[in-house]
Amino acid sequence: MTAPTLTNTPDAVAGPTSADSNADGGRTATLAPSRIRASRLRTGILTVRRAVWSSGAILLFLLLWELGPTYLATDSARVFLPPLHEVLQALGALIANGQLQSHLSASLTRSASGFGIAVVAAVALGLLVAWYRSLDQFLNPLLEVFRNTAALALLPVFTLLLGIGEVSKISIVAYAAFFPVLLNTIAGVRTVDPLLVRAARSLGLSNLELFQKVILPSAVPTIFTGIRMAGTSSILVLIAAEMVGAKAGLGYLIVNSQMSFLIPDMYAGILTVSLLGLLVNYLLVAVERHFSRWRTAVGSQSS
Amino acid sequence: MTVNARPMPKISLRNIGKQFVVRPTKANPQGSILAALDGISLDVAAGEFITLVGPSGSGKTTLLDLLAGLTRPDTGRVLVDGREVTGPGRDRAVVFQQYALFPWRTAASNVAFGLEGTGNDGVKRSRRERTSKAREYLDLVGLSGFEDRYPHELSGGMKQRVAIARSLAYEPDILLMDEPFAALDAQTREQLQEELLRIWRSTGKTILFITHSIEEAVYLGQRVAVLSSRPGRLKQIVDIDLGERAGTGDVRANKAFVEQRHRVWSLLHGEVLKAREAGHAKILPDGSAPDEKRPSSNGKAA
Repeated sequence: MTAPTLTNTPDAVAGPTSADSNADGGRTATLAPSRIRASRLRTGILTVRRAVWSSGAILLFLLLWELGPTYLATDSARVFLPPLHEVLQALGALIANGQLQSHLSASLTRSASGFGIAVVAAVALGLLVAWYRSLDQFLNPLLEVFRNTAALALLPVFTLLLGIGEVSKISIVAYAAFFPVLLNTIAGVRTVDPLLVRAARSLGLSNLELFQKVILPSAVPTIFTGIRMAGTSSILVLIAAEMVGAKAGLGYLIVNSQMSFLIPDMYAGILTVSLLGLLVNYLLVAVERHFSRWRTAVGSQSS
Repeated sequence: MTVNARPMPKISLRNIGKQFVVRPTKANPQGSILAALDGISLDVAAGEFITLVGPSGSGKTTLLDLLAGLTRPDTGRVLVDGREVTGPGRDRAVVFQQYALFPWRTAASNVAFGLEGTGNDGVKRSRRERTSKAREYLDLVGLSGFEDRYPHELSGGMKQRVAIARSLAYEPDILLMDEPFAALDAQTREQLQEELLRIWRSTGKTILFITHSIEEAVYLGQRVAVLSSRPGRLKQIVDIDLGERAGTGDVRANKAFVEQRHRVWSLLHGEVLKAREAGHAKILPDGSAPDEKRPSSNGKAA
């Protein structure tokens, strides 16, 4: 965004100088392009500097991870906090023998199914609750109770009722992902501009058409914010659930490695979890941006 | 005027009354009933351009809602083409002050909004037909080339042009306009007034135009209906005759214009003062009137 403004200024400066340079030949004429080149270089340097600065904290952290255990930690602490390269080696080994992939796919299958079920159910219920005020009054207290009960507090209940198999994992993920989507769907429908509803009504739209053509499209960005939050929390809860009782999955990998004293493997698992979280969030942000182009475009223009 | 002698006025209001229940608030714990409109009777001929002025709180928007079929009157009848209005319909279109464009739709898609589903003639239009109609009407309001822009990429004046195109596109007979140019800057407003007159002449629509600007009312309307302060009653209807205004001259500087502007002004002036003394304000859609003074404190302040 800053690039055009920076290259514009030398142009403006070059205008008058080349105009009054008729007397002393081409000196100033050659100066103008070189100035532009210099300013391009300057913006290039600026971009690089910004990139270095914004990744600086990460790099510093990785450096600390690599060097800290070797030079700063005591011998006993070094065992529990191996330097980065050992963790990466362990990660490479886990990928090579296919273990990581099988744990990852187990976790992904669970969180994707739970998340999918939650989104479908929560959007449907959210639309109903937002549309029928009496239903909202009836359900709202109960929803508040459930929403404020931490999903993981209910984990024992899920395990007791549904066993330690896939069903209980998928259910707890669905439970955790359900509420952000539900609440955002309700908010999205509630905050539809009443003027738009009036305009659509004045065109004689039926309730169903009004819903389909006005309320739903205008609520989509808000709903997607909820979906993004649900995506993050579904991974979070799943890892915890896998730590408590599972035979596969990233959470299991982490806890199992800890128990078997394979500390680098444990850190490899943690690293995978954080990379997965980043990736999921990035993807959902991209989807959210796609669906709210008409809304976010204002912001991206002015920034 | 020959309007009343004609057998079938396009719009006919017969002794309309409308009341609102004001929700109880902290300042006004009992709540109260406000008469917004009282005994309004008005006939509008087909193809007529009538403007409506009145102090705030005189029920202008209520009157428009009644005509649009968004609300029903408590007393009296609203007739369009001799038939009672029972709900919204595609023979009438509303243009709002705040444009009311759908922000997730492009200009062309906004214009095509009213063309989706079955139209006035009971025919379903194909996507291609809708697109070409949208193009045609965007062209009519001078916005060709802006089909793919989203509302947030358009200026206020352009947004209102799109809104007007959207209202015209499904070919209603009646255009109901609720202070459509009030939010625009003076130059854009004048330009759009000009174009509205051009569109009116070329399409022959019946237009009911609400405004708080006396100038605008006199400039646009063939007749200006002046409403009294709350409860809104029809104070007087002023016939406007500005002579031939085909030329490009400054109509607003005409002697006739100035005189008629002054006539409407004097009719309205007393009502505006009355409304201010009574502290009348808009009744919000949720039934509360936060600025409304309590009946007991009338006259003390203001």
